[in-house]
Amino acid sequence: MEVRFGGAAALTGIDLTVAAGERVAVIGPSGAGKSTLLALANGSVAPTAGTVQVLGAVPAALRGRALRQLRSRVGTVHQHLELVGQLRVVHNVNAGRLSSWSAGRAAWSLLRPQGVPEVLDALGAVGLADRVFERTDRLSGGQRQRVAVARLLVQRPELVLADEPASALDPVLTDRVLELLAGLVTEGGGGMVASLHDPALALRHCTRVVGLVAGRVVLDAPASALTLADLAGVYGARR
Amino acid sequence: MTTVLPAPVAVPALQRVRARWAWGLGAVAVLAWSLVGAKLLSGNVVNPAGSAQFGRFASAALSPALDRPFLGVLASSVLITVAYAALGAALAVALGALGAVAVARTTWGRRRLGWALSRGVLAVPRGLHEAVWGLLLVNLLGLDPWVGVLAIGIPYGAVTAKVFADLVDEVPRGGQEALLATGVGRLPAALYGLLPPASGGLLAYSFYRLECAIRSAVVLGLIGAGGLGYQLSLSFSALRWDEVWSAVYALSALCVLAVVAGRAVRRRLAAPRSSADRLRRDPALTAAVLVTLAGVAWSWWYLAVSPATLVSDRTGQQLAYVLRAAWPPDTDGPFLREVGTAAVDTVQMSVIAIALATVGAVLLAGVAASPAGRVSLPRRLAGIAVRLALLVLRAVPPPVWALVLLFVLLPGVLPGALALGVYTLGVLGRLAAEATEELDPRPRDALAALGARPVAGWLYGVLPAATGPVLAFALYRWEVAIRDTVLVGLLGAGGLGALLASRLARFDWGAVTTVLVALVLLTVAVDLVSARARAALR
Repeated sequence: MEVRFGGAAALTGIDLTVAAGERVAVIGPSGAGKSTLLALANGSVAPTAGTVQVLGAVPAALRGRALRQLRSRVGTVHQHLELVGQLRVVHNVNAGRLSSWSAGRAAWSLLRPQGVPEVLDALGAVGLADRVFERTDRLSGGQRQRVAVARLLVQRPELVLADEPASALDPVLTDRVLELLAGLVTEGGGGMVASLHDPALALRHCTRVVGLVAGRVVLDAPASALTLADLAGVYGARR
Repeated sequence: MTTVLPAPVAVPALQRVRARWAWGLGAVAVLAWSLVGAKLLSGNVVNPAGSAQFGRFASAALSPALDRPFLGVLASSVLITVAYAALGAALAVALGALGAVAVARTTWGRRRLGWALSRGVLAVPRGLHEAVWGLLLVNLLGLDPWVGVLAIGIPYGAVTAKVFADLVDEVPRGGQEALLATGVGRLPAALYGLLPPASGGLLAYSFYRLECAIRSAVVLGLIGAGGLGYQLSLSFSALRWDEVWSAVYALSALCVLAVVAGRAVRRRLAAPRSSADRLRRDPALTAAVLVTLAGVAWSWWYLAVSPATLVSDRTGQQLAYVLRAAWPPDTDGPFLREVGTAAVDTVQMSVIAIALATVGAVLLAGVAASPAGRVSLPRRLAGIAVRLALLVLRAVPPPVWALVLLFVLLPGVLPGALALGVYTLGVLGRLAAEATEELDPRPRDALAALGARPVAGWLYGVLPAATGPVLAFALYRWEVAIRDTVLVGLLGAGGLGALLASRLARFDWGAVTTVLVALVLLTVAVDLVSARARAALR
């Protein structure tokens, strides 16, 4: 399977299968294709050649309601760039379950927030319950990243995709967030694919590590069989 | 491994932003008052007798006049209109760039009084519509091409100065403050920290002004300056609907040209095709600048504008005479009451117009915005159709809409308000669509990726981010609409415009001064309210 943007190949010769219960860390230098790999898995990018199967379905072949249903089972954390700054935190978290809400309920919730207890649970898990009614653009980068995680906790997806989910967090919160994501995987019975820039985190929180360099898989092994030195090799193996 | 987080903190209560709710409820109340004032909820507003004529007008849309002699006349009208618009807009941008420095908050800093005074001075030229300037200038200069150029350039220059200043003031301060902190002077700090982030907006606004100038040139034609507007009024009074539509289509085509050129330049500026290692100018941008300059020079030649007229003895004498006759203003009781009633009508007309335009623009913005990615054919066709419809709405000057609406509505506030409303919808719809296009697509994409239905994605991903800019645009357009009511007023739709027209026709200069003062005060009041409302939005 491969992906090209214009003339430039972002990913080439990728053949990966993630089994249920697996937590896959994708590591590699900047521009290696980690974000593209995640975008393929949630169907927002279609492969130029080959096919992508997500939870037993092919997103590129689905339209309308069927596609929405598939997407509601896949949760993505993209750092914190997916949040709407002008909305209060509660609405940004509630956005995680928009797929199951009617349009009327979604609209009403903007005036009178719906399902606040669940939102508070999710925000409490990331230590932000006291900011529930704050405008999201008043939060710091790290706090916003935790709001993005809380959105995922409310969505309860089966497949968890995380793009640098902890880039702006301190070590304690980083561990906490990755544990929460792992908890989601156990609960939902699916898997997780996370791009991580810290090799130590990859070994500590994931069951399998995939190394990407220049759009190609250069490493694919169980985390238990790897050492930090092996992972450092991925970053050293430049073109 | 486990981590212990601090125990959950007390959850705060949801607090509404009181100021915003107050503004919202106030707006609803004012709208209700205006609707009552327009007799929409009571009394007769429809004129059934005119529906046949309206039908003939509407059906002529599909069969515009295309005979050779008329097309020839139309072509020369187009050239005249373009020349007025180009010269007027060039004058306006030059005046605006100079004026912006004088009225920017950045210039004045904490000296609020000076800033407020400078804005106050600007309110006088801004408060009077191009058509009013045209009528006043005709009395000073006679039938001279300067009338058209100055009538566009003066009020546009003032508006441009205000908007340029606001655009620069609204740039986030971080970059400039960082430069000032390192000891860079104020001018270089503004050049490096303020102008680059604002430049896209400044250029886009300049081209938008050019587009508006074309419409204003048409409006000035309606009151006798020649060009497309003059042709439009001739065909209208002869009930030649096929010719009216030909003129409307020519006008729309002109506007498309202005929009397309403006967009092309804006896109080029936003994503320059420069090579990183070498400084090279963009040939397309260079060409745009050269073509604009050449166009202005050609317009100067084509209209035979002569600076000598401005400083001739006759102009000086006429100016002295009008100024003597215009002072003191007419202040007797019954007349002031008449001015007051007319002012209320004017406000109600503008409020209804803006409410109609804002609701329409919000509903249409999503369809009218060019989608970023690949979309289905019906969606693309719908987008093109809505954009074209909006273009026609804003290409036709409001007085023409008012005349058309007067076929089916009785004279009064309502036809004027609707005429202004549909015209403003054309403008606001485009601005709202552009605001939607410029939003960060990532939040919306993320909602789509987690399976939100399109309506919910719009409610959570687009609406919250677009509300601020769209309402700010609506408030700006309200300021414009207040001035535009003068235009529709000239045609019996009531308000201060009708009053002004009747006093000007009698050369009652004292009363004209009173109405002009009332108009300026009204626009200043609307400006203040609009500025406070926009501050509450931020």
